[in-house]
Amino acid sequence: MPIIEVANLVKTYDDVNVVDGVSFSVEEGEIFGIVGPNGAGKTTTVECVEGLRRPNGGSIQVLGLDPIRDRYEVTQRLGAQLQESRLQDKIKVGEALELYASFYRDPADWHELLDRLGLQDKVGSKYAKLSGGQKQRLAIALALVGSPEIAILDELTTGLDPQARRSTWDTIEEIRAAGVTVVLVTHFMEEAERLCDRIMVIDHGRVVALDSPSGLIRKIGSEQRLTFRPSEPIDDAVFANLPEVTTIGHSGSHVVITGTGNVVQAVTALLAGLGVVAEELRVEQTSLEDAYLELTSGAGDPDGTEPGAT
Amino acid sequence: MSATMNIVRTEARLFARDPIALFFGLVFPGLLLLLLGLFFPGFDEPSADLGGDRYIDVYAPIVLALGLATLGLVTLPPILGTYRQFGILRRLRTTPVHPARLLWAQLAVHVGVAVAAAAIAILIAVVVFDVPFPESPVWFAISFLLAAASTFSIGLLVGAVARTTVSAQAIGMAIYFPMLFFAGVWIPRSIMSDGLRTVSDFTPLGSSVQALADSWYGSTPSATNLAVMVAYAVVVGFIAVRVFRWE
Repeated sequence: MPIIEVANLVKTYDDVNVVDGVSFSVEEGEIFGIVGPNGAGKTTTVECVEGLRRPNGGSIQVLGLDPIRDRYEVTQRLGAQLQESRLQDKIKVGEALELYASFYRDPADWHELLDRLGLQDKVGSKYAKLSGGQKQRLAIALALVGSPEIAILDELTTGLDPQARRSTWDTIEEIRAAGVTVVLVTHFMEEAERLCDRIMVIDHGRVVALDSPSGLIRKIGSEQRLTFRPSEPIDDAVFANLPEVTTIGHSGSHVVITGTGNVVQAVTALLAGLGVVAEELRVEQTSLEDAYLELTSGAGDPDGTEPGAT
Repeated sequence: MSATMNIVRTEARLFARDPIALFFGLVFPGLLLLLLGLFFPGFDEPSADLGGDRYIDVYAPIVLALGLATLGLVTLPPILGTYRQFGILRRLRTTPVHPARLLWAQLAVHVGVAVAAAAIAILIAVVVFDVPFPESPVWFAISFLLAAASTFSIGLLVGAVARTTVSAQAIGMAIYFPMLFFAGVWIPRSIMSDGLRTVSDFTPLGSSVQALADSWYGSTPSATNLAVMVAYAVVVGFIAVRVFRWE
């Protein structure tokens, strides 16, 4: 049974459907990513799941409960980190955790949580003195201090430097390893690809795709590009006979071939048959970033009418 | 420790870490009385202007009201504005604790500081300037709590609607100074014109000062003054709770 089940969710502001019929379910133990351009409805969707907003339509079940009607029970079992939420400047890290721990019937050991998040030296530091990465790790600690079954993390790594971002990713993987289901809202595809089991792409309040990262890439019809330096000169025409190959070009002494399907195997088998070695072989695949840009209107092509035009 | 006690303790600590709030909220009323009494010529002698009363006797209840107004309108609204602006109230909504408890904790801390500030000022008045200890202590306590309730409910309303720290500060200040005027900080109520004093009676702080002065010097506060304080506390407090925005 899914741990979160959302069906036909609609949320309207000023007569505009910010979320317009979103359906998805999150399975226990997975890291579920929600990605999409700014204003796509990501945050509104998770805020409905958290019970912060009352939907205008559709249904939401969290652990079999209604986030509005069963608010108390849901908040006991779901931890949230909100976008653009901070603490009092002068509250100390340890005080904040002790305070939040007292809200829950079965709190985690917050000292251990601080150790796990590398904040043990900061227990007496005031919030205002923490770096951006430390504030985000404290936000994670507060989301986990109630020993939740689900953690919803919204734009967790926005504004962090690459090193802090990577260490936050490790933390998220540890959270999942500890048995917590994670819902991750992000607009970094690299982050979604690295962490998520499944990704939901939303745009203009609608789901445009929901699949594993590799499934999303496949859906675009992945084109691959091979670059190599043949060990001896070779006629382009031999590649033209391969059905998988779409273009053949040159870049200096390198041959550049693009194609679909099993183009890599086809080309390397052909070369092997000819006794030619492909030196400095590089294969580039369509990235999730490419897939994302095609799926959403964020590719500088507002209507999304020409997928793959670039 | 229960969540509520933990919130109150945390908010009290945070208040204590703000030196400006601590100075103006806790120390200033007593200090002002001390400085006026020590350095203002004739402040602790009978004055013909006041029909033979001493200025210090008239100003003792005024500084208590001043302290309440400072806490209610200068320190409280920006805290609530900040808590909204920073998303602290919103963050609490995702926990089992309703953010209203944070508001009640803030009010509890402010009432606690107000009582301590009043105790300091009364102590200075009694010990240094021979002002009598409040002669109708029960009425005095009732008057003080009603004065706090009416003043803080106005601060709560400001904090309920101001979106940011800065707007809460601005609105609070815009109410603070007129309230001090009607409390008699610059012109004591006894030498206000009749018309002005009637207007003052219908402000929460004007009624507060009169009720505090009456009970301090042994009379029963007037029904009008008590009713005005109750009305502000109930009506404004109700509106504040109804219009309060959590985000």
